Amino acid sequence: MFNKILFATTGSPECDSAARVAFDMARQYGSKLTLFHVLGIPGKGDSNLVIDTRTGEEVDADAEYLEGVAEELRTTYANQLEALPGVEIEVAVGVPSREVLRIARAKDVDMIVLCGPSEGQQSGFYKRGVVGDNLRKVAKAARCPVLTVSRPSASFWGGFSNIVFATDFSKASESAFQFAKTVVKAVDGELHMFHCVDLSRFQSPIALTQDGIEAKLAESRRRLHHEYATQLGDFKRYTSEVWEGTPYVEIVKFARERQADLIVMAHHARDVDPDERPFGSTLEQVIVRASCPVVSVNRPDKLPQAAEA
Amino acid sequence: MPEGIYCNKRPITTEEELKALLSDTRGTKYYEEMLSLEVDREKLWATIQKTCKSRTKTWLDVCARCGLCADSCFLYLVNDCKPEQVPSYKIQSTLGEIVRRKGDVDNAFMRHAMEVAWSQCTCCNRCAMYCPHGIDMGVMMGYTRGLLYSQGFVPWELKIGAGMHRVYRAQMDVTTEDWVETCEWMAEEQQDDWPGLEIPVDKEDADIMYTCNAREPKHYPEDLAEAAILFHIAGENWTVPSEGWEQTSLSMFAGDWEACKLQVENVYAAIDRLKPKRVIGTECGHAHRATVIEGPFWAGRPDGQPPAPYIHYVQWVAEALREGKLKIDPAKRIKQPVTYQDSCNYIRNWGLAETAREILSYLVEPGYLIEMTPNKEHNYCCGGGGGFNGIGKFRPQRNKALLTKRDQILATGAKLVIAPCHNCWDAIRDLEEEYHIHIDWSFLKPLLLKMVIVPEHLKPKDEEEGDEE
Repeated sequence: MFNKILFATTGSPECDSAARVAFDMARQYGSKLTLFHVLGIPGKGDSNLVIDTRTGEEVDADAEYLEGVAEELRTTYANQLEALPGVEIEVAVGVPSREVLRIARAKDVDMIVLCGPSEGQQSGFYKRGVVGDNLRKVAKAARCPVLTVSRPSASFWGGFSNIVFATDFSKASESAFQFAKTVVKAVDGELHMFHCVDLSRFQSPIALTQDGIEAKLAESRRRLHHEYATQLGDFKRYTSEVWEGTPYVEIVKFARERQADLIVMAHHARDVDPDERPFGSTLEQVIVRASCPVVSVNRPDKLPQAAEA
Repeated sequence: MPEGIYCNKRPITTEEELKALLSDTRGTKYYEEMLSLEVDREKLWATIQKTCKSRTKTWLDVCARCGLCADSCFLYLVNDCKPEQVPSYKIQSTLGEIVRRKGDVDNAFMRHAMEVAWSQCTCCNRCAMYCPHGIDMGVMMGYTRGLLYSQGFVPWELKIGAGMHRVYRAQMDVTTEDWVETCEWMAEEQQDDWPGLEIPVDKEDADIMYTCNAREPKHYPEDLAEAAILFHIAGENWTVPSEGWEQTSLSMFAGDWEACKLQVENVYAAIDRLKPKRVIGTECGHAHRATVIEGPFWAGRPDGQPPAPYIHYVQWVAEALREGKLKIDPAKRIKQPVTYQDSCNYIRNWGLAETAREILSYLVEPGYLIEMTPNKEHNYCCGGGGGFNGIGKFRPQRNKALLTKRDQILATGAKLVIAPCHNCWDAIRDLEEEYHIHIDWSFLKPLLLKMVIVPEHLKPKDEEEGDEE
């Protein structure tokens, strides 16, 4: 289902959960896995010095250092690499989000696996500018689905089976739905389609009348059925649900209630200035909070091909 | 030892040589070898006789050692007014001495001269404004660097930088394929937000040919995307060349005159090939000096001009704002104390001080621009110009040099520094990292993109209610 998977890792323990998912997926789907690490940010004017992304120290990113980092990755993931031969290890110097997008494009990968934001990241000069933006930038610009794993995903043993698709009815969400549909059929799982009527968006008290909310809920239920359920054909193992509230809270609650092992959504925020969105987008909030992996799909370019097709 | 394996008089001409030199971490072996590098005195004197023309000779002769240039030099001021940092002393004790001794100088002298040329002068040309005779030590130091380079006495990073230009025609290892691929990539990445946006490569007879700084495609390709978006909004008919897109010249910092010529000829060949009505360079300051101000002379152009009118990015921005091609949303103007870093290379050497202010008058709410003192043509170098930013060996000196700019910025109370020049941007970034004064800094492009009014017909059409995420 995924021919090529790119696992972008810092190599730190925060990435262990993501690593497990990435290696499991590669094994399960027979995918070509590339382990990728951006070791340093170009700094210091035109010189060859880079800032090591993990230590914050200045380093000379010469061949010896690059090889040393690759070796360290090999040691970190020794067990997994032994179990799954043929994994490529790549290291690069640059702004992490940019380099992840660059290699994803160059290798034409079908899926990027990222570690979620962790509490353990050292605060530092580049934190806001690069580390915090990393996920946002990759999720927004990637042509392929981006899977983020930020917490131990205990449920991921035999593959995904219980998938929540959260939609805002946007064009990007249509791509996310196509992804969810293909995956759920391929793994013969259950699909839970979900929409949250965003109450925080209604400024007028009139719009907040119970009648108004109920009308919105009814309309959204109709849309879930009309726009998505009708595309499922013979596939019957699905549910659809509309709640109201603050979208990211409700999505996380819903996923927990359904014991989801994967959340599928779109991430298409146009307004990416973190100063203007102090709480981040819905997707980012879901990624931080969800207990299962979250995959964002914005575009139809690299959707997995269904096995039966 | 006449010449070393790493440190020698030969320029880098192949990728293998470049990689070999790069593998010598921080130039350890390179500088070791430099200790015993022989000076080819005959060649040095022959070069001087051939290239030291009347202007330089006159300047060396008429310099009265009056010291009026001393206070003009920020390196003199920041280094406790040491006599050795007086510009006239710096040049007389290096170039002046080499000429007086007819090239009869030894290894220790050349190493000292290298230190002076690259760690005590950023070629910012400020002293020229204060010399009663109009002597420009910056220009002479540039010439001195050329002599030092030809003898192999050049900082390791700059030998690599010049080699990059010789091998790749770019200051970094960005090949033609990498560059064209980056253009496609950036156009593709913007398609959702900017339908119809293109980065046309090798389009002939366009109104604008755009050139940039290799650091952009290498590490910050969004800069290219931002340029494309702004041209798109402004409705410009523009292109980039597949070859000759790199406008900077680390070879100029290195004093590698031959590489300077090769580099600029590559850009000019693109102009001749694509025949644009005019050329616009990126925000980088030294790129402009190398390709537009000095480049025509390196390339031997009789009129001293590039093959087509070639303007700096701030000139295009000012024009676009003036003519309404770009319109700023008044509600989004900067309403916090902000200051502007004048780049030596396009303010003092190209006269764009007022043009930059014109842009600021659109971007900054009246009353919020706080000028540094001094400013415009009288500004001080960011502290990292002339290659200073990139030389590891002279990092302590460079960090000290940043103090001038730090104090200037602190005195304004501004929290945001607009620094269009890539080199100034780097220096300010580094000074924040070094001294933690809690400031922000920005190029023009991201600021413009935040404030510009996007015409309705350029907005994506699928904006329905799906804007939750």
